[in-house]
Formats: sequence, structure tokens, C-alpha cells
Amino acid sequence: MNSDRGLDVDAMLAADSVDTGCAAGFEILHRYVEEELVGGEPARAHPGVAAHLESCPACRQDYLGMIEAAQMFGDARPSAP
Amino acid sequence: MQHLVEVGGGVSFPVDLHGGQFVLAVEDRPGPDNMDALDPVGLDEASRAWVAGLRASGRAHEECIVALHAHLLRVARHEVARRSGSLRIRGPELEDVAQQATDDALRAIRSKVADFRGESRFTTWAYRFVMFEVSTKMGRHFWRERRATLDDESWERLPDMLTGAPAQHSLHREFFAELRRAIDQDLTALQRRVFVAIALNEIPMDALVRELGASRNAIYKCLFDARRKLRASLSAAGYNPPYAVSGAS
Repeated sequence: MNSDRGLDVDAMLAADSVDTGCAAGFEILHRYVEEELVGGEPARAHPGVAAHLESCPACRQDYLGMIEAAQMFGDARPSAP
Repeated sequence: MQHLVEVGGGVSFPVDLHGGQFVLAVEDRPGPDNMDALDPVGLDEASRAWVAGLRASGRAHEECIVALHAHLLRVARHEVARRSGSLRIRGPELEDVAQQATDDALRAIRSKVADFRGESRFTTWAYRFVMFEVSTKMGRHFWRERRATLDDESWERLPDMLTGAPAQHSLHREFFAELRRAIDQDLTALQRRVFVAIALNEIPMDALVRELGASRNAIYKCLFDARRKLRASLSAAGYNPPYAVSGAS
């Protein structure tokens, strides 16, 4: 956050009242990711999760990792590990 | 009275009639001992194969576990490589993190597979556990590489951090003076520690989770409350979002 460009104070102080928190977000993160990958609008259906992923650096990393992994590896099946 | 309902493909389920509606018979609802009843209509073929393998016994189960471990390890290796740049973890340590994360993720998946409801592909559902374990393990490694000090030094330099040089505009100086005062006086000691560590020192949340022995959710709640307090303090002083000070000179 304190990058060469300086602080993003708005991001640093982001605190949306609809934010679900980490635990509730984790519970539906797979649905959120899947909806996004099929071209849906999960942020509209789950605004609390969207707000959380904007504000929580740890869950955002997990979300970005899941998006990338699901795109690259998600079609795997047991017979072809 | 039970009835059989065919859902296609020669698959049928026993159902009970309750209040004029058919519901899946109790003994066939998804659960630890009857995952075979998991919505076979909506589930894609690969997900069905993973779940069937995990629910199988004997050699079929063992082969599925081996295949799942190999798959999760591939995903974990990719993920630790993706995150490695920001945490200065290299070579053998990356492989250690990937292996440990895979083992623990597989353990979690095996114990929670009854919770899988087919709301996504099985793999996407499983990747949550890989990501969580990678985050946890990398948070642990963070402290081996860096003994960050969670002191007040960073926020004392707050105006300098805006542009890399002392703030020039009096308006910005006043804003940051108020923010600094609020961090110092309006936050609890724990809120100040969490906020300074994450927002200013860029310490990964999961590293702080380990350092403070709390859950990720608890640390985030602390950060969230700190942010709300600071926003309220700034608002009382006449500063409201958007603060429009990022990158200003």
C-alpha cells in the first residue's frame, strides 16, 4: 500500500458497512469465483463479498489465486492428475 | 411413504412426501455417510468423478487420493510462485510451503467433502483450502525472513510516505496531522498495532494472524474497526471520502 506511488488513503481506510468479513466470504468464495468465470456478475449478487475482497488483502490474494487456478487447472479429473 | 423419483440417466432417488411436497428421503440426503446422493443432475462429470472417488473404498479411493494430492500440489506450487515475489521466499522454501499446504488442504478436503453441494466445480471448491493453507504457511515463513517492528515509526513518517518526500501542501500536512493524531489517540493499542502493521508496514495479514495468535477473521475485524474509527475521526475534523490525497504532490 505504501508503494512508490505513495499511499492510497481511500483504500487504506476502506470500511464498507456491507462487508461480510473473512469467514462468511470464505464460505461462498468458490461460488463467487465460478460465477465470475462464466461471465456472471457475482459482485451484484454478493455485494458484501465484493466489498470484502476490495478491503481485505488476505482474502483478495486468495480470490486472485483461485481465479487463476480455476482457469488454468479447474477442468482436471481423477483419471488424469 | 417413500417413492422413487427418476432424475434421468437411469438414476433415481427415494423421496418422502411431506406437506404435499416431495423431499429427499432422510437416509439419502447428502451427508458424511451418503454423499452418493449429492445432486447428480447439476454436477459436472469431473466433479462427480472426484466426489465418487473420495467416497469410494479400497483401491478406487486410494487412486483418487493420489490423484487429488498430485493435482493440489500442482496448484499449490503455482500459487506459492505467484506470491513469492512479495515475500522473498525462494527455492526449497517455496517447495516446503507448497508441500505442507497441499497436505493440510487435502486433509481439510477429505474431512469436509460432505459439505460440498455442487455449487461450483469440485476443483474450485477444493482450491479454497489450498489458498487458505498457502496463505497460512507463507505467513509463518514471513517471520523467518523478516523481524518487522510493529512500532510507531511508520506512521510518524506518514506525510513522507505520501510522495516519498515531505508533504508540501499545508492542506495535506493538516490532513495527515489529523490522521496521525487519530491513529495515536483514537485507536486501541491492538487496533493501532494491526492498522500500522497491515496498512503502513505491509505485513501480510496471515503473518499477523500467526504473530498475534488470532484468526484471520478476528484480525480483519480489528482492522475494519480501526478504519471506521479513523474515518469517523477524520469526518469530525472535516475530512470526508474520497480523501483525494493519493499520489498528490
